[in-house]
Amino acid sequence: MTVQTIGDVVFGDEITPWQPDTSLQATRSFAHAVGYSGSGRFEDHSKARAQGLPGALVPGIMGMGFLTSMIHRWAPRGKIKHIDTVFRAPVLADHEHTVTAVVTDIDEELGEVVLDLTILNAQEETRVFGTATVHLPIA
Amino acid sequence: MTDIDDLRSKFLDLEFDRTGFVIDAEQSATVAKTSGETRSEFIDTTDPNFEACAPILASLASGRRLPIDFPKLGGISMDGGKAVACIKPVRPGIKLTGKTHLHDIYAKSGRSGRMIFLVSRMQLYDDSGEHLATTDSRQVIRERPDK
Repeated sequence: MTVQTIGDVVFGDEITPWQPDTSLQATRSFAHAVGYSGSGRFEDHSKARAQGLPGALVPGIMGMGFLTSMIHRWAPRGKIKHIDTVFRAPVLADHEHTVTAVVTDIDEELGEVVLDLTILNAQEETRVFGTATVHLPIA
Repeated sequence: MTDIDDLRSKFLDLEFDRTGFVIDAEQSATVAKTSGETRSEFIDTTDPNFEACAPILASLASGRRLPIDFPKLGGISMDGGKAVACIKPVRPGIKLTGKTHLHDIYAKSGRSGRMIFLVSRMQLYDDSGEHLATTDSRQVIRERPDK
């Protein structure tokens, strides 16, 4: 499901859930690009475990990337004005996670939608949550 | 116990860091692609509307994490989250200046004790002084019981 204009958005709608790529290859590339590489915590399970972590992690801001990517697919003409993400618990690399969002507010005059955002692990435990304000064309 | 009101009165809204950045287009595209982005303006560096994606803006780090005279709070510090406000598209390759201040300091108490939240806000400007974006970094410190 995609939306093109503010008129397409329905209060309470859930954006189609999505399983992002949390593979070590992806987290390694991401960590390298943002300058987080070297410690192993995003690149290597055994190095991460040696640091007391349960395994290699998905960088917190990569979770933000998963959420913005989902919003952009849902609203191809939308512009994210603001996104706020709370890192509640680690997102483990090589583990299945689901990214979801629900429409919680619509301002038809301003063309703005507020979304509640969540990243869940396979046990349906919240790892990341947040909100986004997205601007959509009015017509 | 740390006096939150005292910290707020002494440190909020005072710029404590100014750092220059230039975002690399290929790095921003890699960040977007590995996050699952599909829109051309974030993944195709030849797109005339190519712009830096939100996660790479959130990755920009100030030279100092806290004001130079900010007291040591002890305890375990964790990355509590990030926020990005996009005001104008940030084009890779241009000079950016990030001006950082403490935007908020607050505490929450729970069964395991008190957590102190420090929100550092970086405002990103281009060379002409136009405000392009704002990023917030939320640092969480679990207070030691004896503090």
